[in-house]
Amino acid sequence: MFAADFEYYRAGSVAEARELLAAHPGAKLLAGGHSLIPLLKLRLAAPAAVVDIGRIGELHGISNGGGALHIGALTTHAEIAASAAVNAGAEALAEAASQIGDPAVRNRGTIGGNVAHADPASDLPTVLAALGATFTVSGPDGERSLAAADFFQGMMATALGEHDILTAVNVPAAGSGSGSAYVKFSHPASRYAVVGAAAAVTGAGGTCAGASVAVGGATAVPVRCASVEAALAGRALSADAIAAAAAAAGSDFGDDLLGDVFASGEYRKAVAPVYVQRALTAAAERAG
Amino acid sequence: MDVSATYTFDAPRQRVWDLLTDPAEIAGCLPGCDSMEPAGDDAWRTTMTIGIAAITGRYEGTVRMTNRQAPERYTLNVAGRGRPGFVNGSATLTLTEEDGGARTRVDVAGRAQVGGTIARFGQRLLGGVSKMTMDRFFACLQQKAAAPADA
Amino acid sequence: MSSRIFGSGIRRREDPRLITGSATYTHDIVLPGMVHAVMLRSSHAHARITRIDTEQAKAAPGVLAVYTGADIEGALQPMPCAWLLPDSDLKIAAYPCIASDVVRYTGDIVAVVVAEQPSQGYDALDLIEVDYEPLPSVTDPEAAAADGAPQLHADIEGNQAFHWTVAGGDADAAFAEAEASGVVIKERILQQRLIPNAMEPRGAVAQYSRATGELTLWNTTQNPHILRFLCSVVTGIPEDKLRVIAPEVGGGFGSKIAAYPADFVTVFCSKQLGRPVKWIETRSENYQATTHGRDHVQDVELAATKDGKITGLRCTVHAGMGAYLSTAAPGIPTILHGLMLSGCYTIPALKEDVYGVYTNGVPVEAYRGAGRPEATFMLERLIDMLAGELGMDPADVRRRNFIPKFDDGHKVITTLNYDSGDYPGALDKLLEHTGYAGLRAQQAAGPVNGKYLGLGLSSYVEICGLGPSQVAGAIGFQGGLWESAIVRFHPTGKVHVFIGASPHGQGEETTFAQIVASEIGVSSDDVKIFHGDTDATPMGWGTYGSRTTAVGGAALAVAVRKIRDKAKVLAAHLLEASVDDMEYEDGKFFVKGSPDKAKTIQDIALMANVAWDLPEGMEAGLEASTFYDPPNFVFPYGAHLAVVEVDTATGDVELKGYTALDDCGPQINPTIVEGQVHGGVVQGIGQALWEGAAYDDSGQLVTGSMLDYALPRADRLPPIDVISTVTRSPHHPLGVKGIGEAGTIASTAAVYNAVMDALKPLGVKRVDMPFTPERVWRAIQDAKGA
Repeated sequence: MFAADFEYYRAGSVAEARELLAAHPGAKLLAGGHSLIPLLKLRLAAPAAVVDIGRIGELHGISNGGGALHIGALTTHAEIAASAAVNAGAEALAEAASQIGDPAVRNRGTIGGNVAHADPASDLPTVLAALGATFTVSGPDGERSLAAADFFQGMMATALGEHDILTAVNVPAAGSGSGSAYVKFSHPASRYAVVGAAAAVTGAGGTCAGASVAVGGATAVPVRCASVEAALAGRALSADAIAAAAAAAGSDFGDDLLGDVFASGEYRKAVAPVYVQRALTAAAERAG
Repeated sequence: MDVSATYTFDAPRQRVWDLLTDPAEIAGCLPGCDSMEPAGDDAWRTTMTIGIAAITGRYEGTVRMTNRQAPERYTLNVAGRGRPGFVNGSATLTLTEEDGGARTRVDVAGRAQVGGTIARFGQRLLGGVSKMTMDRFFACLQQKAAAPADA
Repeated sequence: MSSRIFGSGIRRREDPRLITGSATYTHDIVLPGMVHAVMLRSSHAHARITRIDTEQAKAAPGVLAVYTGADIEGALQPMPCAWLLPDSDLKIAAYPCIASDVVRYTGDIVAVVVAEQPSQGYDALDLIEVDYEPLPSVTDPEAAAADGAPQLHADIEGNQAFHWTVAGGDADAAFAEAEASGVVIKERILQQRLIPNAMEPRGAVAQYSRATGELTLWNTTQNPHILRFLCSVVTGIPEDKLRVIAPEVGGGFGSKIAAYPADFVTVFCSKQLGRPVKWIETRSENYQATTHGRDHVQDVELAATKDGKITGLRCTVHAGMGAYLSTAAPGIPTILHGLMLSGCYTIPALKEDVYGVYTNGVPVEAYRGAGRPEATFMLERLIDMLAGELGMDPADVRRRNFIPKFDDGHKVITTLNYDSGDYPGALDKLLEHTGYAGLRAQQAAGPVNGKYLGLGLSSYVEICGLGPSQVAGAIGFQGGLWESAIVRFHPTGKVHVFIGASPHGQGEETTFAQIVASEIGVSSDDVKIFHGDTDATPMGWGTYGSRTTAVGGAALAVAVRKIRDKAKVLAAHLLEASVDDMEYEDGKFFVKGSPDKAKTIQDIALMANVAWDLPEGMEAGLEASTFYDPPNFVFPYGAHLAVVEVDTATGDVELKGYTALDDCGPQINPTIVEGQVHGGVVQGIGQALWEGAAYDDSGQLVTGSMLDYALPRADRLPPIDVISTVTRSPHHPLGVKGIGEAGTIASTAAVYNAVMDALKPLGVKRVDMPFTPERVWRAIQDAKGA
């Protein structure tokens, strides 16, 4: 496993990284390296230049302010899983981060690299879609903020342009009476999500004031399950109500299902309600 | 791998046929198509850079049209190879008039073979990638079809 | 040192170097002037090569040479097959080291690049242009045998490599009777293709000296002496000028028995260039080109009386061989499979037809258990189905058919003579230990939260300790199957042992030291074991088939006993006593009744080496060698229980518990035995639940990496409970059998039976392995619809 030759640049700041991207057309950003490096070694990617942003201090870390968790793009999965702020305000995110790959992957892989790669079987995009996260992008025309629905555009395709850098992911912090959860059917080899369901529930007094649900793994981008959300809104958060609402999950998927040699799209869609139900149940418990 | 899809064009069948058999239009809409040079009867040599996220590969190959039955049906054969492996595919495109001829439905049905590194590592993504590539290709042609024909 | 070292679970002496990263593997061999070979492998499963252009690659930076099939013509002979199965119409296809006209699987070598640096080699690979004319391909063994299937080899009709049969009794009559008045159970079983996944991939370093004409080949082999012989055949370098070294080898599971084209291509490159050449495969290349295992399509049927007594067994097996016959391949689905078909049971009549079939897949070879898991599986599955049909408990059907306890030979219908066993005793102990009756009661209480409990039994007996050389000859194995040992005492009483076997992770450096220590009373710390270098060790036939302790250990014990005999004579001389009056105990030789005036083995070793005072006619030195050819195979056995829970909502299977009872005779080192059982059991579980090499319809291996090929992971496994019984082999000097493959042989069937037991209330009849959640879920949906 030997990568083809490439030029290596290390950026000291976001501005410098953007300059390097501009100066080297086709260059790829390197953060934690857990998507890019394997592709380089397999020679499935052979960019002329790699711009390492891994040591840009301003992109690291988690802060809590203005009702949102501000998570720097270079924050690792392990840091997110261990973060008290994330565990308090976005349980589903901590839960998902703790289940990515294995410890080595979690210690190196970053949230920014993960979502920029936008693998359809990845965990974080699903959770971030359910939690209503926004994505801060630094581009040639300045900074902009995108919702998940706008950021994830297709299979491994995002709104990031050639010269854009994702700098942060912002997650609205859940208030009291809210809870979220992520439940995943993990591929036995890759540990990618065959189906991953994320749910956030606001449910003061056992009545659902609002729910948001997203499912990943079965479609090119995470699906927000509007019909599940609608079915649950205003209802008592009983096991029966959750099960009945979750049963509708597949109806939000559309026709373009992803399948592979391990699990067909049809199967993923058919079992998605089970995972949605489990995620909703856990989220409702936490909200209660 | 089976490939099948249906696309509807807001244009009459002859217009869609002309688009779908014009190498320049195909080259313009085929994602990553760098060039398309004539290479004999209904055949063209192409180079394509197919990229999805960081996964990019340059393929050289041929595009060939066979079994032409204007304006109803033809078979598009694509053979390409590059560092990540090879792609061989053939699909029959069937054009059917709809809405009294105002619109045209294109049914694509065929098979593709993918070999090499991509097949060994990328099986879980291949179906989605081929669908996405095809969607982009036809979306581009649909736009062209909806625009007035070139003067 | 007390003889109690035999049976002591001391720590493996191999482990410190392995776990601190200080072991020397083939990849760690670095030689002055060494360059690197990289193989270009076919991207097509079946195609004609119409053009190869290597000019650009040859001109690339750092590249010394690019060779294709045309270059090796005459220099490398085709790959030999070394198991010439008799009476089977065996047809060995030409197996060139580099394909020059047709490629037949996606691992076929098309060209090799030699470069100063590996990265330069990989750069140059991309510059080789190959034009392929694709041909139709087939990877399913049954489809490959069908009329109209793509033909792999022009001279081999119907892709049939061989047709082998085994029969005993009148099977057809048994089935006729069962059809009339008993029961017949039929099943189709797919033993899917598996990838062995040794922790260390394969590799070779070849150093050819133009000055001497000598070659040293470091290789990741399980059997260096066999490789030396095969290397001589293929490269033409005479055996006396050939040295094969198996340095540390990181596991094999059968995939490092065969010789491989890449090994000899590496030798060729070294010879051509006069430089040492290293070739190390990547993991994906390992998946693509290192032998796979299993790949049977089995159609099986069992005849029985209505009270559960088995009267006959019939089966037809299509065994995928892959594109070419690997070194030992023909013997795996036949001798090692068919002869074990009657398992632990009295089966009066059986008949099996095995068709070896060429397919456009990686060649199939031995994989842990090699033929025996496939035999155990079919029998254990059929017995559970028979129990289901008759409404009996599977344990009762087994009891009804077991061979009764025996301790010195029992001949079965396939002509084998089992050495010793107590199959009913093993099952009874297992059931008692696991609280089987209680588990059945728990199961009867019904599912909890949609989760169904299932219990699966597997009783097995296996053949190992291969084997008597005369038998080897009779069954077409192109070699002997004895083992050798040289034991040498140094003046200080320290011991060097040289063995022909080649352990590669099994821990025999430890267990063999224990054998020496227990036989002659030295500390096991004073014994060093040498293996894996054909210039330094006596001839041996390698490590596979759970034979190293069974055969090599016997050789060692016999050699040490020769030393003990000589030492006794010398001790008698030094004590001025008659040999007949001498006694031996724990490393001390003394005159009967005078243990305080003993000569220790260290005293004897010193005197034998300085030779100042030896009995008349005695040679100096204290050394012995033995070539041990076993009089029979050994037959370990046991009974395993798997407990699973199936989630009907998703089809997910969770293994809740696993208990393995194995009887491998007296255990030299119970810790190592337990480790072997753990690893073996887990590999068998892998086949049932997760593993499977999948080809697409154009012959591409789509489980080409660990992203898609699911190996067992610790977090999906319960603690494995390992218990044992001890039945000595009557013919083995130490009474021991083998344990390397036992776990794998038993566990696939146990887990399979458990899942099917869980699904029984839902009406599910069969599911193909591995039990992916989707397959289980679909089977449940289909049964609901039925």
